[in-house]
Amino acid sequence: MNKGIIFGWIAIFGLLASCGNPIKDTDSTVKEEPGTVLTEEAASDAAESSTEIPVVETLKDTDTELIIPDGLKEGQSFWVGYFKRNMAEPNIGNDLYVDEGIYWNRKNKISISIDNIDNGRVKGHSVVAGNDRPFEGTVDVITDSASGKQTQYFTVKEPGDDKYDGVFTFTLTDYDLMGTWEAYNDLEIKYRKYHLQKKVYQYDPDIMLQNQNQYVDWNKYTEETEIMEYDEGEIEEWIRKSFSASTDMIYKINASNQLLKKEDVENLKRGDLTIIRNTIYARHGYSFKHRPLRIFFDAQEWYIPVHADIKSEFTEIEKKNIQLLLSFEKNAEEYYDYFGRG
Amino acid sequence: MHLGLQKYAPRILYYGVLGWFTYLMLAITVQYIPIQFNVAFLRIKQDEIALVHYQWAFFTHVYTSIVVIIAGIFQFSNYVRTRYPVIHKNLGKVYVGLTLLLASPSGLVMGYYANGGIYSRISFMLLAVLWFYFTYKAFRHIKQGQFELHRKFMLRSFALTLSAISLRLIKWGLVSTLELPPMDTYKIVAWAGWVVNLAVLEVYFLVSKK
Repeated sequence: MNKGIIFGWIAIFGLLASCGNPIKDTDSTVKEEPGTVLTEEAASDAAESSTEIPVVETLKDTDTELIIPDGLKEGQSFWVGYFKRNMAEPNIGNDLYVDEGIYWNRKNKISISIDNIDNGRVKGHSVVAGNDRPFEGTVDVITDSASGKQTQYFTVKEPGDDKYDGVFTFTLTDYDLMGTWEAYNDLEIKYRKYHLQKKVYQYDPDIMLQNQNQYVDWNKYTEETEIMEYDEGEIEEWIRKSFSASTDMIYKINASNQLLKKEDVENLKRGDLTIIRNTIYARHGYSFKHRPLRIFFDAQEWYIPVHADIKSEFTEIEKKNIQLLLSFEKNAEEYYDYFGRG
Repeated sequence: MHLGLQKYAPRILYYGVLGWFTYLMLAITVQYIPIQFNVAFLRIKQDEIALVHYQWAFFTHVYTSIVVIIAGIFQFSNYVRTRYPVIHKNLGKVYVGLTLLLASPSGLVMGYYANGGIYSRISFMLLAVLWFYFTYKAFRHIKQGQFELHRKFMLRSFALTLSAISLRLIKWGLVSTLELPPMDTYKIVAWAGWVVNLAVLEVYFLVSKK
C-alpha cells in the first residue's frame, strides 16, 4: 500500500511539472477596439495591444478656418466606397490568403468628407481602416465647353506626420468622386484608387446585419493535424485550421435598441458575442482597426466608417449591453474549452 | 513484478488521477482568494453576487468544498483505516462536519440561483439535498457501529463530492468533441455531472452483491 501511495504522488508531481495553466486560458484577451473602450484600465490595455496602425487621436489645429465636425451631425453626407489597390501601379503588398476560399484583396471601406472650400482652398478629412485624417489642398473647376458639364479637380494632401498619410487626387461630379492616392512612405500598398458615391450617415439603432459574409477571425484558430497514409508507406501530414466564426444568431440579436438580459447572451458562442458587440460600434460608424472585424463590417451595405473614436457616442442601453457582452466574452475566452468552469 | 503491478495499478490510478484533479480544483479555488466579486465565474453572476446571502453561500461553498474533497481522498484506504484509525476518524469528522454544516447548505442556496434555468436549478438543489442525506446517513450508521452501511453511504456521499470534478471533466469532453453552445453544455453537465457518478456506484453495488 505504501508503494501505491508513493507512485500516485509521483504521478501527481510529474503532472504538476507540466507548464501552463490547466484550468483556464491565461493568454486569452478579448479584443476591445481602442476607440470604444469605456474604462481607463481597458483603454490602456487596448492601446497597448493595437500595434497595427498608429493612432493619432487629435487633429492638427493649424487653421481656425478648418471646419471639422466633432461628434456626429445627424444626416451628414459622405463620399463612400472602397479604397482599393491600384493595380496599374507597382504595389508590393499582396492579397492576404487565409485559407481555401477565404482571402482579402486589401480593400477597405473609406469615407471622404469635404468640409470647407474657400477661394480654391479645400479642407476635409477621410476615415479608413481606423484612421481619421484631415487633408487640405486645391480645387480647380473645369467646365466642358461642349456639354457645359462642370468637373472639379482636387489635389489634397494629408499632414504627413502619420505613417499612412499621402496625397489624394480626384475628380468630383454631382454623383461621383473618383481618383487615386499615393502614400508618402513606402507602404505595402503605396498606391490606391477609389470610386465613391454620396451617402448619408445616420445613426440607426434598429439596423440589423445583412447576410453578406461570414465573420472569420483568422488570428484565432485551432490546428488539427491529420496524418494520412498513402500507398507504399508514404505519409503526409495535413494541418487543418478551424477558425473562430459566427452563427445565425448575429442576425437576430440587436444590442443597440433593447436591453439584453443574461438569458439572451449566456448561450451564445464566442464569435457571436464579439460580432453582436462590435455591431454596436458599426452602427455608430466606428472605423475598425482589427482587420477581420473591418472586412466583416465593410461588406455591410449600410455601414459607413465616419469616426475613429466613438467613446462618447454610446446610449445607456448600449453601455449596459457592452458590459454584459464583454463579461460573457471574457468568460468564454478563458474557460469555454478548458477544465475550469471558473 | 507483474503481480505487483496488478495489485497496485488500481491504487496508483485512483490516487494519481484523483490527485491531479484535486490539484486542478485547488487551482480553481485559489482564484477566489482573497474575496472579490468580479473574478472568474462571478463575472457572469453579477446579479447574484450583489445579494448578501449569495455572497455568504458562494464563498462558504468555495472555501470549504475543497477541504471536503481532500479530507475524503484517503478515507477509502484500508491501510490508513486499519493502521491509523485515529486519522480515519478525525478526517471523517472533518468531512462530515464541513459537509453537513457548511458545504451542503451553501450548495443548496447556490443551486437556487444556478445558471441554465429551472432545469439546472433542480439538479443542483437535488444534488445538495442528496449529498446532505448520504453524508448524514453514513454518520448515523457509524455511530451505531454499522460498518458496512457506513461504507456504502460514504461511497455515495463521496461520489457526489466528486461531482465537482466529473462535471468539469464531462464539460471539457463535450466542448472538445461536440462544441455545443455554452449554456446547452452547462444544462447537460448540471445533471450528468453527478447522476453518472451515482449510477456507476449503484451498478457496482448490485454487481458486487452477487
